[in-house]
Amino acid sequence: MRYLKEVLASRELLANLTLREIRGQYKRTIFGQLWSLVNPLASMLVYTLVFAFILRVEPEAGDPSGLDIFAVWLLCGLLPFAFFSNVVQQGMGSILGNVGLVQKVYFARIVLPLSKVGSVGYNWLFEMGVLVVVLVIFGAFVWPWLPLVVVTMVLLAIFAAGIALMLAVANVHFRDTQYFVSIIMQIWMYLTPIIYPISLVAVQSDKYGGLFGTSVTILDVYRINPLERFVAVFRQLLYDNRWPDPQDFLLCAIWALAAFTVGLWIFRRSEKGLAEAL
Amino acid sequence: MSEVAVSIEHVSKKFRLYHERNQSIKSAVMRGRRSVHEDFWALKDVGFEVPVGSTFGLIGSNGSGKSTLLKCLAKIYYPETGSITYNGKIAALLEVGSGFHPELSGRENIFLNGSILGMSKKEITAKFDEIVDFSGVEKFIDQPVKNYSSGMYVRLGFSVAINVNPDILVVDEVLAVGDTEFQAKCAQKFRDFKNQGRTVILVSHSMTSVREMCDSAAWLSHGELVKVGPADETIDAYLDSLPGASAA
Repeated sequence: MRYLKEVLASRELLANLTLREIRGQYKRTIFGQLWSLVNPLASMLVYTLVFAFILRVEPEAGDPSGLDIFAVWLLCGLLPFAFFSNVVQQGMGSILGNVGLVQKVYFARIVLPLSKVGSVGYNWLFEMGVLVVVLVIFGAFVWPWLPLVVVTMVLLAIFAAGIALMLAVANVHFRDTQYFVSIIMQIWMYLTPIIYPISLVAVQSDKYGGLFGTSVTILDVYRINPLERFVAVFRQLLYDNRWPDPQDFLLCAIWALAAFTVGLWIFRRSEKGLAEAL
Repeated sequence: MSEVAVSIEHVSKKFRLYHERNQSIKSAVMRGRRSVHEDFWALKDVGFEVPVGSTFGLIGSNGSGKSTLLKCLAKIYYPETGSITYNGKIAALLEVGSGFHPELSGRENIFLNGSILGMSKKEITAKFDEIVDFSGVEKFIDQPVKNYSSGMYVRLGFSVAINVNPDILVVDEVLAVGDTEFQAKCAQKFRDFKNQGRTVILVSHSMTSVREMCDSAAWLSHGELVKVGPADETIDAYLDSLPGASAA
């Protein structure tokens, strides 16, 4: 409890550090905040060209929205994943990147990774805003679902924060973590149905049936991935415009809570040794 | 004895001297154990009390554990054994301008740095003019700090820190910043601090400034407390212990 109080007391510091990241990020660039859109836009173009035009991946049309545009469908999954991946990678490096602060000033260290959640989240909010505009232009009726989208975004932020907290500590002790994680993130993205629909996995899974004589299928294993649930919920809300599957939604919440609790616990335990270990 | 501001009891601090440090997973796996190290005690059973309203000096040669003790006081390191209890709000000034972002303006950096040092936005706003005034960089306050001269940079950092207004201020040899005029201002600020009944703990190699500013002092040598008492006596004892003492 006392720890929570301390973290709460540093919320102004958290806000200021987040602002530092946001303001410092695109200083002295001509396009400024627009740069945060360029990355997802470039990935969207590449993936759309390769997967929709060349490989002919065809996700089902949105039900009941009736949308059938690969690029938009892709963005509904790609933007949340990019946010997750950025938070984890930047949050992980946040302690190492602020050696000067950690070794010279006392403050609740947790604000460093959390400020990354804030600054990356700010960019994400901007991207999602643009996505909503695009969805509306193409005739999706997203408005009633926006509150739930925001809730899911918060859940994903909590999940990402939890993972970032764990890895931030690991990265101080083993500097390999950052290189390792950037590879993991690439693999993770392809293991999540972002650029292909999960139905393709289901088809393969049915072909093989239960694994090793059990009733567990490939699809069951595949769906352990928490990001699969998050992406599913985002698509149901934004692309299909319908209530999210309650099971998916509940699992998102459980994953978020579990990751954050473990992350906080690990971080708290090693917080005091950080200045020395750096 | 008067009230105690900081009480340090049996503080010991250990560091690991790594012979082979495993900072990569590969080396951890290959060697099968985490690392090879030897313990080094930077502080051994140090204990003394700092009375409220005093200016307290920590002296000793290089590597005597002064800075380690200071970092323990600042809650950056945590002692292995013993405890440090504070009576009031503490602020540590181990480096000036910590967390300044070079691309941000002086104004933005005052708010950022102030909140890192534990001030609320309200406090900073209230003190803003005083901070700017003290630093003497009014003209450039809306310029990015990367364009500041190193003196301006340090002065701005120092001004923020000195305006945190803690009950106990812990200072590492940062007194030597800025020009003579600025140093005089700092010395005045420390005197004001003292007059307001606040406690200052400082580390310095300059015996003149310690003698001038401090009432009491503690002398550390190789992590052990040698002597604690009135500043003049402790400084004399320390100087006498040095080879070629008469020259000092």
